[in-house]
This record gives sequence, structure tokens and C-alpha cells, in this order.
Amino acid sequence: MNNRMEMTFPSLGRNEAFARMVIGAFLVQADPSMGLISEVRTAVSEAVTNAVVHGYKDAGGEGKIVLRASIDDSRLLRVEVEDFGRGIENVEQAMQPFYTSEPDKERTGMGFTLMQSFMDALTVHSEPGKGTLVHMEKRLEEF
Amino acid sequence: MLKAHREGGRLCVALSGEIDHCAAEGLRQELECLLADRSITVLALDFSHVSFMDSSGVGMMIGRYKTMAARGGRVTACGLVPPVDRLFHMAGLHRIIAVEDAHTGRYEQR
Repeated sequence: MNNRMEMTFPSLGRNEAFARMVIGAFLVQADPSMGLISEVRTAVSEAVTNAVVHGYKDAGGEGKIVLRASIDDSRLLRVEVEDFGRGIENVEQAMQPFYTSEPDKERTGMGFTLMQSFMDALTVHSEPGKGTLVHMEKRLEEF
Repeated sequence: MLKAHREGGRLCVALSGEIDHCAAEGLRQELECLLADRSITVLALDFSHVSFMDSSGVGMMIGRYKTMAARGGRVTACGLVPPVDRLFHMAGLHRIIAVEDAHTGRYEQR
């Protein structure tokens, strides 16, 4: 089962739901459990929300977000969410549970923690002023 | 996104859809508007029709807990579907919000 997809969409809040829908639809071909779909959808939702809220500072649809996904013969799912926004100064700090750069807003600082919990692997590449690439992997159950 | 009715000091709100960052902001405003009535001491949220929630929804819940706690009130939740229930546990929301047990029908806070 070798397949992949890539799509680009503007950094609008309503595209968080759209990205979840797309990753869920892409996963259907691998016939995963409902629980697994829900985990991947949550991880993608967190990554896209970070791009909208932090990468592009909630500036409306000005920014570009890329969602890529692939499934290979070993049933390894790879998902990437990339933005070309502000980037993260200190990735290690940003990934600390409950750390938020905006404590005055109703943010939990749980985004990266949930991505880590729901996926098998998470790596974050970021460069201030250039953008952020979130790479996640998950082994899909065998049948 | 929500349907609300009063039962004395209780404000019963049925939520629906997917509570992400985009939806949470609208919910926050609507709920705060309703909660401006300070005779409300219990905010009872029904999640039966909420199919998805992420950390933005958790933030929205903690915010409403703070609003209610500030007036000596509380928040309850019922009808959590498994993925939403799991997120409640992971985020520790069960510790501040009484959640109805799907089997016993009792509200428990852990």
C-alpha cells in the first residue's frame, strides 16, 4: 500500500476542521480502527492550529499551510504539517508540557504533548522568520 | 453550536459538532454572554453531540471552570463519547469538572 497526498490551504481557522477531514479520509484506505483515526485527527488538528495561531499569529488567511501524508508497504503513516510563518525561537521550550507563549489567552500548552501522545514519533524543525515543519509518524495496526 | 435552557440556578447547555480552536472562540463568547447572569451557579454541559475535541476545547473548558469557580459555582459534563472522554482524562479535566458516569448516571469528580 504505497500512497501519498499533499495539499495546500490558507491559514484560516476553519481549515483546521478541513485538514482533520482530509487526513481521516486519507486513512480510510488502510482500514484503521476508529480510535487510531481519532488519534491522528487530533494530532493533525493540534499541528494545524499551531500554524494558524502561532505561525501566522491568527492573521486570517494570509499564510500558507501544507499538509502531507504517506502510507508505505510496512503500514507506516507519515504526516507533515508545514508553515512559512514566524517560526519558533526555542523549540525545546515550546514542546514542554503546558508551556504557552500566550498565557493570557485560553491556551493549554498541550498541543505538542498531545501530538507526542497520539503518534509514535514527532520531530519539529523550525527557523525563526522562516517557518515550522512538524513531522509525525505512526505505525498502523496489522490485520 | 449550542442550545441552552435554565433550570433554576442551573444553565443546561447542549453542545454539538467539533470543538477545536476555531469553534472554541465562538463558544467562549456565547457561554460568557449567557453566564453574565450571576444567578447561574451550575453550568451543566451536555457533550452527547460533540464528536471531536482538541486542546483548544480543553482551554475553553478550563476558562469556563474559572468563570464558575470565581462565583463559587461549578461545571458538570455528561455524554462524553470515548475520544472526548479520553481527552478529559489526559488533560485532567475530571479533577475540576464533575463528569457523569455513563454506566451509573452519577456525577463524579476525581
